[in-house]
Amino acid sequence: MGKIDLNRRNFLITASAVGGGLTISFAALDSNAATPPMNGPWGVATTNPELTAWLSIAPDNTVTVRSAMTEIGNGAMTQTAMTIAEELNCDWSKVKVEFAPPLRNYKEDNVYSKVGGRTGFFSGRSTNEGNIKGGLQIGASARVRLQTAAAAEWKVALADVIASDGVLTHKASGRSMTYGQIAAKAALVKLDAEPSPKPQSEWTLLGKKSPGKLNNPAIVDGSAIYGMDVRLPGMLYAALKQSPVHGGKLKSYDAEAIKNMPGVVAVVVVDPAKTPGTADRDKVPFGKYGIEDSLAQHAVAVVAEHYWQARKALDALPVTWDDGPGAQWKSTEQIYDAALKALEKTDGKVAAEAGDISVLEKQPKIVEATYLTPYSEHACMEPLNGTALVTPDKVEIWHPSQHAEQAFWVAADEAGVSPDKVVYNQTYVGGGFGRRVFGNDVRMVVAVARQVPGRPVHVIWSREETTRQGRYRPMFAAKMRAGLDKEGRPQAISSRLATSKAPPTIGQTNGLKNTPYLASQIPNVRLEMQDLPFHLMIGPYRGPAYNALAFVTETFIDELAHAAGTNPLDYRLALLASYPDPGWAMCLKEAASKAGWGKSLPKGMGQGIAISNWPGSGKPQSGTTVCTVATVEVSKAGEIKVHSLDVAFDTGRILNKDAVHTELEGGAIFGFNMAMTEEVTVKDGRVVEGNYDQYPIARAGDVPKINIHFGGLTGHDRFGEIGEPPVGTVGPAIGNAIFAATGKRIRTQPFSKVDLSWV
Amino acid sequence: MAVQLKINGHHQVIDADPSTPLLWVLRDHLGMTGTKFGCGIAQCGACTVHVDGMATRSCQVPVESVDGAEITTIEGLSQKGDHPLQKAWVELNVPQCGYCQSGMLMAAAALLKVNPKPTDEDINESVNNICRCGTYSRIKAAIHKAAEASQV
Repeated sequence: MGKIDLNRRNFLITASAVGGGLTISFAALDSNAATPPMNGPWGVATTNPELTAWLSIAPDNTVTVRSAMTEIGNGAMTQTAMTIAEELNCDWSKVKVEFAPPLRNYKEDNVYSKVGGRTGFFSGRSTNEGNIKGGLQIGASARVRLQTAAAAEWKVALADVIASDGVLTHKASGRSMTYGQIAAKAALVKLDAEPSPKPQSEWTLLGKKSPGKLNNPAIVDGSAIYGMDVRLPGMLYAALKQSPVHGGKLKSYDAEAIKNMPGVVAVVVVDPAKTPGTADRDKVPFGKYGIEDSLAQHAVAVVAEHYWQARKALDALPVTWDDGPGAQWKSTEQIYDAALKALEKTDGKVAAEAGDISVLEKQPKIVEATYLTPYSEHACMEPLNGTALVTPDKVEIWHPSQHAEQAFWVAADEAGVSPDKVVYNQTYVGGGFGRRVFGNDVRMVVAVARQVPGRPVHVIWSREETTRQGRYRPMFAAKMRAGLDKEGRPQAISSRLATSKAPPTIGQTNGLKNTPYLASQIPNVRLEMQDLPFHLMIGPYRGPAYNALAFVTETFIDELAHAAGTNPLDYRLALLASYPDPGWAMCLKEAASKAGWGKSLPKGMGQGIAISNWPGSGKPQSGTTVCTVATVEVSKAGEIKVHSLDVAFDTGRILNKDAVHTELEGGAIFGFNMAMTEEVTVKDGRVVEGNYDQYPIARAGDVPKINIHFGGLTGHDRFGEIGEPPVGTVGPAIGNAIFAATGKRIRTQPFSKVDLSWV
Repeated sequence: MAVQLKINGHHQVIDADPSTPLLWVLRDHLGMTGTKFGCGIAQCGACTVHVDGMATRSCQVPVESVDGAEITTIEGLSQKGDHPLQKAWVELNVPQCGYCQSGMLMAAAALLKVNPKPTDEDINESVNNICRCGTYSRIKAAIHKAAEASQV
């Protein structure tokens, strides 16, 4: 039972809330430049009665859910609403989603992030345990408060009020009303105890239905507002150029040369030394490393009334740079040579050790192989951009971030203000893949805009600037060495990795150290790391480290299978035979059987298999296991055609089958492109590739047939994530298939640059 | 210099640098942001609009070169977002991040006008825009679905 809370606190909270909604409206265009709180270019956030900070219900029965997670295309926003709706029993056709405002979170004791922790505002992890439990509780509490208010209104017992499809019903008296009709009163109900959500077995939406993304209608009519689409009264545009050699400095520029060009308002310089910083840097979601990952680069920007004016003036602006130490890296080959040389060093830090590695050299067969994977660029369709309005009283941001709370803090840090002065409005995000997590983009936006105070400044990176100022998937070199016993089973594996020095926010051993092989199934293990001083900036890229090391690990396992004279599928099944997670064997068998593993193929065709797990805690029955079988054809001239990728996976259970299907398919294509063609190269310290003509992304006619299979699901009680896992196993599956087809073992990516011709 | 365009049925007089790409006239001067900036070199197709009925990558079209032309953008593809392609896109849950999808839809709409029943190969050739999320198989399925719906 509950009671009516008369202190009206909920209404006061509503009135002071800030943030943007998703209702599309251009009302803001007609308003004054000093936008009131709650105004975003896409409309005004709801002021309907709030049941909690997460939820409000309008008199017309529209349910507005606030999602802390941003929406990058993985459906996290829709998943948040689904989770709450499962317990709320509302009418799904009347559900809308807004983005939860980080300022409110800051002011109200982490009201949003206490559910999801430091990834509460992150674009992924919508199905992790905290978010599911939290969402169900929010829905259940709101429903019981609605029922309580109706029971009070009708003077009937709470137990006799049924809540279903957004309608409250009292059967005996035949009375009913919508949630919207009683929401204002329900908002005042305070429960003595939180109700318990129903058991999973009674779910009717989660795992049962597959609604499409709630923002699809706005996407297909062009009304969805991405960061690039923010339009504000009095808005200026800025075109940005950063030091072409990462870490370099601005030496000189000649603003006089362009100041009379049409529309030019200002030329501004970004100097990292001038970042004012905010107090409480340790409160940033990723801590001090989150700040370090977001630091500014030396840059110059032209601000103008229109974008094209800014762009033309920037192109005409004479600029010289002091390249700094990065210029020592004359070519990509020089970087690769340094990495390969580092693999010969014996003073690396030990990242994993088990058993006695000296056992390795005593085995009858030794296998050794060296691998190399390149830098890769996220190449999100929406170039980097953002908008900021800096005034003496506040800093207002409109931004496509993958982590709204991180961006909020970085904006405060760059503006040098307390976070309670930062009004952060999240927009849709035109692709993330890890590129927009740490907030280096929002920092550059604020760094430019604070030099043009009083007018909103929309800062746009050109495609070339976006590509050349990446935070890349780092290159990896790896030397693997195994000792096989007389049955061909590895008794010991040693591994040396060489890669860019990385902060702890970016994993360096995912896909190797945390695989069942190294974590538990092979008794004697040693893994050493060498951190290299390369200048290229790096960052998380869909499945950090795993996207490279799953290739290393699963190619090497394939080599061991070949050395043992065993079928690569059977070899893996034997290695994993004692592993207490049936999902691995189930995924291997499912992908293999659906792909017709073992069928006879003409010469020049072959199949390859690979399996791994993301995020890979090294513990059984955690994360998401993915197995991919590639079926490829290689012409004698070396042209490769990937006919199909068969993907099986184990997330434990799933919540939205269609959402899982599309993420797996897209992730497999992402992994395909990464393995086949992607490579960021360097000349005289500068990144060579600028646009899609030099950094090709697979188009409709380039991609293989992707077959997604659900037979690997174990039903274990977890909802593993699905965005990153499919990326890692595609490359090794294709590489192993190339070996099966041609006898050529591929140990470097991208495959398009490897000579695959055969006789 | 003023350029005259007919955009989604409405006459517009544009006062902009004549070399400004049509894309930026739409997005910046007219505030029509459904047409996206992706690459600026006519590679990715996110900026696809119809110029006199032809699918055109607007980032490489100086506005002076289309003086007097009829332009259709995603905002004008249908009155209520109910073009058969838009309906199929929602039914099949095609978009992921969605940024490329207005360009995909405009390319697909132009294809269906000249080829009401395209094959997969026709689609590969005509709707060869880039989608980094990898929604290609759903795009194809939605085009086929819209093609069937239009023929009933």
